[in-house]
Amino acid sequence: MTVTRRIDAVQNQKLDMTISNDTSQKIVDILVIGAGASGGAAAAWLAEAGFSVKCLEQGYWQDPSKYASASKDYEFEMLTNWAPDPNVRQRDEDYPVNDSNSPITPVMFNGVGGSTILWTAHTPRFHPSDFRVKTLDGVADDWPISYDELDEFYDLNDEVMGCSGINGDPANPPRSPRQMPPLPLGKDGKKLISGFEKLGWHWWPSDSYVNSQRYGEERDACNFCGHNHMGCYQRAKSSTDLTYWPRALRSGATIETGARVRRVTTDELGRVTGAEYVDSKGNERRQRARAVIMAANGIGTPRLLLNSVSTAHAEGLANSSGLVGKNLMFHPFAMISGTFPEKMNTWQGPLGNIAMSQEFYETDKSRGFVRGYTYQFQRSLGPAWIANGGFRDPVPWGKGHHDELEKRLGSVMAIAVIGEDLPEEHNTVELDPELTDSDGIPTPRLNYTLSKNSRDQLDHAIENAKKALKAAGADDIYVDPMMRQSGWHLMGTARMGNDPTRSVVNKWGQSHDVDNLFIVDGSVFVTGAAVNPTPTIQALALRTADYIVSNRQDIKG
Amino acid sequence: MTDNTDIDEQLLEAILNRLLPAIGEVPAAGQMKLVPEIIRLSGRQARFQNQFSNALRVFKSTNLEFRSTTVDEQDDAIKAFEAEHPELFGSLLTISYIVYYKDSRVHKRIGWSGRTPQPDGNEMEPWDESVLENVRKREPFWRQV
Repeated sequence: MTVTRRIDAVQNQKLDMTISNDTSQKIVDILVIGAGASGGAAAAWLAEAGFSVKCLEQGYWQDPSKYASASKDYEFEMLTNWAPDPNVRQRDEDYPVNDSNSPITPVMFNGVGGSTILWTAHTPRFHPSDFRVKTLDGVADDWPISYDELDEFYDLNDEVMGCSGINGDPANPPRSPRQMPPLPLGKDGKKLISGFEKLGWHWWPSDSYVNSQRYGEERDACNFCGHNHMGCYQRAKSSTDLTYWPRALRSGATIETGARVRRVTTDELGRVTGAEYVDSKGNERRQRARAVIMAANGIGTPRLLLNSVSTAHAEGLANSSGLVGKNLMFHPFAMISGTFPEKMNTWQGPLGNIAMSQEFYETDKSRGFVRGYTYQFQRSLGPAWIANGGFRDPVPWGKGHHDELEKRLGSVMAIAVIGEDLPEEHNTVELDPELTDSDGIPTPRLNYTLSKNSRDQLDHAIENAKKALKAAGADDIYVDPMMRQSGWHLMGTARMGNDPTRSVVNKWGQSHDVDNLFIVDGSVFVTGAAVNPTPTIQALALRTADYIVSNRQDIKG
Repeated sequence: MTDNTDIDEQLLEAILNRLLPAIGEVPAAGQMKLVPEIIRLSGRQARFQNQFSNALRVFKSTNLEFRSTTVDEQDDAIKAFEAEHPELFGSLLTISYIVYYKDSRVHKRIGWSGRTPQPDGNEMEPWDESVLENVRKREPFWRQV
């Protein structure tokens, strides 16, 4: 069957498109767009509940045995073909992002597992206060749900992903035991912690979705190679290609890889009917579905919604509020590093899974800003990484190079600041009027400015991190006041809320405008908290899937 | 995409000599025959290869007599290039450092194993809960809502 359709494409583009080989005459119950952290979780839950689930993923399956950490070229690969920034990586499956109007560049990965392939798997939870920032601090908005409502889904997610950690953290509410004990702190971790202890500041071993012992399906314990941020060869770091997707596939779900979605389709009533996409061979295809779940991350999801204009959705799908693509939040990220006089083999152990401090997490208005930040402790890597700067400036070339390299190698530790970024409507993901991906699909443009509150947070954090490093015995302290390549956490661009004029989805992740469209990635965040967001994204995805199972059996064919 | 076929290898060696001078028994980088590996490795990604090739081309266009100048003049020329074209210079420095620190002579000098991170990984002392003694004494301080 061949369907020829003319779409008035967005941003004055006209697109003639011939859709041949309608992939599947079969209509699926649920079409998931994106096979990453949230797509995997939702797909597994729904497939196990008997829904027919298909996922379209623009990237491909990864083979851990081929990850670059076992390649003799790994130090080059880390900065190029395995770079976290898609504009640097430039794989065929990546799409360009115009980041010229943002001081922070996007970081993501396209493939089964999504950005969990490259993440460090540092997995703290939100605090109860993070869901009530308007009530408590008079800023932004409260979430329409509470920490308690999400708690059981955090636990379920921990069980599937596998959490290494330990109970008793005084900075966080009590919770269920983790599946594994914490990862070792190492000599270097203990050294950095000693600074916080001297100052009487909180620290706690990191919650990590990295196996400290064998856990899950054919997943070994971490062997401390230090390079899980370029894919975990050992399968010790949790990524959804190793956790949720095997479960989903066993329950009948399917994934089509190399499938780049052009638009989500709708009927004359405005309800979603599936998606049009370009398959791995360049053929235009269509997949019909009774419901669609967007799981393409906080940039990819608004991009697709804005690309999905139709008569019923002239401003983009699910965008009657005008808030699709607005309120983009990152976690502005400062990095403060210090060089210790002793050699500590800092390349031994996961790069960012040592410990964290939440001494300055909750609001204290005497500091001159609202909300707060987390410190995440960081190691450093081998000689080429050190020479090229790592978390700081490159080692100078020429005379003096060798002495400086010798001083830094095995001795640099860093404190990363994850500050809470509050939503602002002028921070946006929009469609670039000119830039497209290799299939001609309009791509995102970011517009982002750092707020004064976020800047004040970072400055406060920088001064305290210097104190902690000095207390631990470091010198030669170097400050990156805001890392450019730090847009790991993409949030807020299709926010959740009770008011359809002020939000895109309801508290179940369901579009206010389209009852068979759901969003489960970081787009739905109302506020971003000051922690790595993935456990919260996945808990929300499970909650949305659970809602569908309990309340939307009409979707099941 | 450009390729690396037009790279002036002697120019690159002269630059390497200034970036990474001799130390101990390790000669300056330009004397270590690193250029073939630099060319091979930079070719593993089109974007990088373009940038790197362009860096050398631009450098050469403004420093035609580089190899015949004094070392101080060479350092000045490199510094000027670094200031004027930081991104291009960055690609040149990055690949130079990566290839230099892949060399077994350098590994021996700095005491680096040279192993790839996988498959063997590293050893760490096991987790020891006693480190939590102090922090466990603290009362909960998360904000109740």
